[in-house]
Amino acid sequence: MAISKKQAHIRNFSIIAHIDHGKSTLADRLLEATQTVTAREMEEQLLDNMELERERGITIKARAVRLSYTASDGEVYDLNLIDTPGHVDFNYEVSRSLNACEGALLVVDATQGIEAQTLANAYLAVDAGLEILPVVNKIDLPSADIDGARREIEDVIGIPAMDCPAVSAKMGTNIEEVLERIVTDIPAPSGDESAPLKALIFDSYYDSYLGVVVYVRVVDGQLKSGDTIRMMSTGQTFQVVDVGVMDAFGLAKRASLSAGEVGYLTASIKSVGDTRVGDTVTLADNPAEEPLPGFKAVQPMVYAGIYPADGSRYGDLRDALEKLRLNDAALTFEPETSIALGFGYRCGFLGLLHMEIIEERLEREFNLDLITTAPSVIYEITKRDGEVLRIDNPTNYPDPAEIEAAYEPVVRASIITPTEYVGGLMDLCQDRRGEFVDMKYLDSTRVELHYKLPLNEIIYDFFDALKSRSRGYASLDYELEGYVQSKLVKLDFLLNGEQVDALSFIVHEEKAYGRARRIAEKLKDNIPRQLFEIPIQAAIGSKIIARETVKAMRKDVLAKCYAAILPVRRSCWKSRRRVKRRCAS
Amino acid sequence: MMTTNTLGLYLHVPFCAAKCRYCDFHSAPAGAELRVAYVTALCRHIAFMAKRAEGYTVDTLYIGGGTPTLLGAKPLVGILDTVRKHYRVAADAEITVECNPVTNAAGLFEGLRAAGVNRLSIGLQSAIDAELSLLGRAHTRTDFERTLAAARAAGFDNISADIMLGIPDQTRESLGETLDFLLGADLSHISAYCLRVEEGTPFFRMRDTLALPTDDTVADMQEQAAAILKKAGYTHYEVSNYARAGRESRHNLRYWKCAPYLGFGPAAHSYFEGVRFAAPRHTAGYIDAVTAGDFDRLVIDAAVITPHEAREEYVMLGMRLFAGVDEQEFAARFGAAFTDIYGTIDHYVAAGLLTRENGRIAFTERGMLVSNAILSEWLDFGEDT
Repeated sequence: MAISKKQAHIRNFSIIAHIDHGKSTLADRLLEATQTVTAREMEEQLLDNMELERERGITIKARAVRLSYTASDGEVYDLNLIDTPGHVDFNYEVSRSLNACEGALLVVDATQGIEAQTLANAYLAVDAGLEILPVVNKIDLPSADIDGARREIEDVIGIPAMDCPAVSAKMGTNIEEVLERIVTDIPAPSGDESAPLKALIFDSYYDSYLGVVVYVRVVDGQLKSGDTIRMMSTGQTFQVVDVGVMDAFGLAKRASLSAGEVGYLTASIKSVGDTRVGDTVTLADNPAEEPLPGFKAVQPMVYAGIYPADGSRYGDLRDALEKLRLNDAALTFEPETSIALGFGYRCGFLGLLHMEIIEERLEREFNLDLITTAPSVIYEITKRDGEVLRIDNPTNYPDPAEIEAAYEPVVRASIITPTEYVGGLMDLCQDRRGEFVDMKYLDSTRVELHYKLPLNEIIYDFFDALKSRSRGYASLDYELEGYVQSKLVKLDFLLNGEQVDALSFIVHEEKAYGRARRIAEKLKDNIPRQLFEIPIQAAIGSKIIARETVKAMRKDVLAKCYAAILPVRRSCWKSRRRVKRRCAS
Repeated sequence: MMTTNTLGLYLHVPFCAAKCRYCDFHSAPAGAELRVAYVTALCRHIAFMAKRAEGYTVDTLYIGGGTPTLLGAKPLVGILDTVRKHYRVAADAEITVECNPVTNAAGLFEGLRAAGVNRLSIGLQSAIDAELSLLGRAHTRTDFERTLAAARAAGFDNISADIMLGIPDQTRESLGETLDFLLGADLSHISAYCLRVEEGTPFFRMRDTLALPTDDTVADMQEQAAAILKKAGYTHYEVSNYARAGRESRHNLRYWKCAPYLGFGPAAHSYFEGVRFAAPRHTAGYIDAVTAGDFDRLVIDAAVITPHEAREEYVMLGMRLFAGVDEQEFAARFGAAFTDIYGTIDHYVAAGLLTRENGRIAFTERGMLVSNAILSEWLDFGEDT
């Protein structure tokens, strides 16, 4: 099949990198160099435009932009840059974005070399059949080792890199060479314009005027306004209102999109839940036979209860979650009631980072004070009567007598670390019930460790422990491997003899004692002292396994009380009552 | 008798030799001219209020500060003469003057004694010289001993000393030493206050660098002081006050029993005929107002105490006394039983925080230390509940 002239002038590519290796800065320089935006118009790191993303230096949502580049052969090329989320929580989104491309720039920091996410993303790109173009970045730094980084790319990933561009995105050095190599090294798309429409959804967002704006890569066929489209995973149909491309400043309407192109469509779609990332769009009256491969419905991996600190703001919390869900199909929530915390929501997240982002957005953008329970993974329980339960909330954990077998999710974790920290990190993984898989020397100074780790150990401050044991140098990536049978128990906490449901969690039997002790101690230090002492007990079923006591308050007295102090005292008392009432309500 | 038509007078002297680092009272060093003008104004104010107090017998009089003895014997005697000239003063009235251990000029105590002063309150604070200098006190333990000897030689036998608990760097051992010293001095009355770091004081600005004992340690110290003083025959009659039999401060008991008193001087408070009021906290302004005869300016924050507030004050202040509240008297005064108004107290009694014996409800030693927490369960001071 001959590639059309139009497609011959299109290059679709992503930039992949470990966090902080300079992905966004390189994207900015490409935009400037192609005069898609001038330096003056440039908002720093245009592609990461959510405030939170900029603060954390990571991309949460994918974005796409079209660059127009006049190459040294005199021809004008449309370069579609598809940004990818930069965190393990969003691996599926990354893989879909990569599937919309023919090539990827693999950015490697010349001072750091390959990190866990470099590898994870490179493997995703290889899996997606992409041409990988390595780019060594940060060559302006004195500690840059360009040839070392190139050698590492060849040795570890196994792709030629000795002649790859060496750039400083920060200083704008050698950016032209990157653009040239995109044109020469990355293949043009080769879709069939006359075949039935197949377009891959790689992102979408909700706009209050347009409805959902769907980002697609047209693989085969044509798409134009007025077409009736069908989502192949759900069979839902919509009438296309507009199609177009994304320039640096927003949406630019076009008459049609055809095979090889990256663009958007709008079709009065109300919810991003109807436009699932990875789904295939086809035409209702001339459908493709098969969808594009690789579609998965995203499943939350981590659950937590979110409650408003002020119970009267329950309605505000619901409105806020609904607004966030408009743009985040991976966020799930349903009402939950806790005896201790009142009314709230059980929320499902892709991972811990996703959870933190949602929490922060709720607090910042919606001004809510939240109480979040300890995160939990989904456990699978087979009961003696054969019933299989999926438990995302400790409160629903069945009576141990009814349990035939319990299963917990495990991940395949890859840790890349300087060699001197290997011992400490292996101890950490051991301590977190990890099962050693293998260890590979990347070079004489760095090691890649593979472990199978229970997900519930990873969500319990694993990342912080990893960073502190490696002085920040180790990097982590993981993917869900499956479920394994496990000895799980539900750990409850009792204050003054009464169980506090919001504090319960599910934990491996061996870990229960240590965790119970640590949490009981924390509670002891954080619960304000009262007139009477408060026993804190940790229990598995009716068996108490840890105990602490919040000692009774010893001193709350006004030592001096004469004439002058009485009016002051009275107003103190009134405000004290008000505070007490607020706390009680 | 304090029950019918007796009155307490508080006379404030807002001067001191140097401000202590923890002090937030209205007091400051002042020159001779201001001191003379102040005494004149104070006497005029005392004379002016006498009409209002007709029919009352003054049975407690307290000259506090500041350091009143800074004025010297003669002006203090002059003030007392003014009081006696305009008010009926009971023959057995308790007349107290506050002093500190350095202003013991020759003849001072003789002069006061001759003028009818029968009680002295000396600010010792600590018997450890290092703690005294940390507090910014200008005296030593030896100064106190000298002052005490001079007062006794002048005929004073009713002498109180103040000490502090929770001084930075204070330990149970050093407190023990101070208490031993006090027992050796054989005083009739001892006040032991917890240091509070008040906003606006030098201590407040220094608070991060001060080694202040924790609340638990201060609670230990309070228990330690109570145990030692009680063993030595003192009665622990109020949160911070201890007395030999019959030597309780009659003037301070007025405050805690909601009996009437008039205060004179800047920032002095009064409770008279159901109204609480105060004078502005400004010495020069006070003198100006009196000189101009504008006595209305000396009444601010006047509040008529409602029956509800009166009841709350009665409980709040009365419960400061280890004698506690008499249930019958309470019911007669407020028309309902204590426990009908404030709910059951059985759990506090069971926990050893309150006693309910001989018709009285009272805090135990341990309960008194957490009395705010319990009182705040009871009192609302007229807030809607």
